Amino acid sequence: MTEELVRATLKEVLIEEFEVEEDEIVEGANFFEDLDMDSLDAIDLIVMMDKKLNIDLKAEDAQKIRTIDEFVTLIMTRA
Amino acid sequence: MRRVVITGVGVLSPLGNDMQELQEGIESSRSGVVHVESWSEYKDFKTRVCGLVNWEDYKVIPRKSRRSMGRVAIMAAKTMQDAVADAGLSEEQISNPRTGISFGSTMGSDAALFDSIGTIAKEKTFNGQNSMSFLQFMSHTVAANIAAMFKIRGRNIPACSACTSSSMAIGIGYESIKYGMSDMMFVGGSEEAHPYNAGIFEIMAATSTRYNDSPDQTPRPFDTERDGLVTAEGAGTLVLEEYEAAKARGAKIYAEIIGYATSCDGEHITTPSSEGMEQVMRLALDDAKITPDKVGYINAHATSTPKGDIAESHATYAVFGDKTPISSTKGYMGHLLGGCGVVESIIGLISLKTGLLPANKNLLKVDETCAPLDYLFEHRYGNHDIVMNNNFAFGGINTSLIFKKIEE
Repeated sequence: MTEELVRATLKEVLIEEFEVEEDEIVEGANFFEDLDMDSLDAIDLIVMMDKKLNIDLKAEDAQKIRTIDEFVTLIMTRA
Repeated sequence: MRRVVITGVGVLSPLGNDMQELQEGIESSRSGVVHVESWSEYKDFKTRVCGLVNWEDYKVIPRKSRRSMGRVAIMAAKTMQDAVADAGLSEEQISNPRTGISFGSTMGSDAALFDSIGTIAKEKTFNGQNSMSFLQFMSHTVAANIAAMFKIRGRNIPACSACTSSSMAIGIGYESIKYGMSDMMFVGGSEEAHPYNAGIFEIMAATSTRYNDSPDQTPRPFDTERDGLVTAEGAGTLVLEEYEAAKARGAKIYAEIIGYATSCDGEHITTPSSEGMEQVMRLALDDAKITPDKVGYINAHATSTPKGDIAESHATYAVFGDKTPISSTKGYMGHLLGGCGVVESIIGLISLKTGLLPANKNLLKVDETCAPLDYLFEHRYGNHDIVMNNNFAFGGINTSLIFKKIEE
């Protein structure tokens, strides 16, 4: 799995499911401070990415992510 | 005792999505019932008719609020938005600790329930479930979501009693203000269409199945050719306020709630009791301190089931005799279940405002076993100032509400 695919999938999920504006999805964007998401959103983001990429993400992983880059890194370590 | 008035209205119904559309739908004898072909995917499921709301503009509800709502709560939230705007309320008034809510539905979101539970039960795992499903299908999803979205700080009493959910919610709001617990209450209810709602009635042989190809001809409350109820969806919200406060702020007042009662049959879990229905109407009249002859129109619950319509007609006759105009407006849109009490109360408000006494759509010949009431075969226009709305639910739960026009 390439990082490019992960970023593209994450972007798609953020736009489609969380109604984030495309221009807000930038490197370093913080889910909670910049994208108006909260802890429940983080859990659901994990569930959706897990299904899309068929990786081993768990709800508790939601506590480990704050930025897009951190999340992408986490996924790449599990891929 | 404090007086309680209605100062805001929001509605989504199979006949229209505001009071004007609802009124025009009734006056033109339109039907909100349609043929639903997609239900054919359910094996041996006979009914194909349902009353559907033509509204899916979900994005008027902010995502953070909407994510924990299924259609049942989204529709209710939209009517709440409309009712708040109609009443012209500020955020301070809405979030006052003496402003509360009461909302109900028969079920939470059936669609969310099916999406979630089916997988869990079959695969015996909670993996892959999102955090929002339960919040969408839990019993008090409408009340909980509206409270969070509108920052309600006062009392929140969910009223989830199937077909009396929203009429009971109105009653709870009325009593909360009348007896001094609140100064303002947002009340109402909702239901979303789903084959499950129709299916549970079909299991009990209570759904309409003979009019699948002519959906505008069913349901047929009180008619000899009725063959069961038609499930429907819809939602409504009323803003209730203490009369003097409403008057002081110059609020538009639709009507006063002068009477409410709820009582139980305490008998069979589903079979309607004429005695129980009669009792609740008498209790509501007592609460309003009026005699039956003062009521100028009765909006009946009558769902078009054989037993229910007969029982209700005799209960009504025992209280009112044969002189009070009566109709069930379910003939226009089907049975909104948790939403019917509030939408039918709104029809009562239309009646008070315009004088319209809505005809019983699809009533051609009254069932001879029904009591001899003044059934409305055509629309009439009266000069009445009091209407009654009756609703009855599984569990032998009965409600009766009485609304009165406010003198200018």
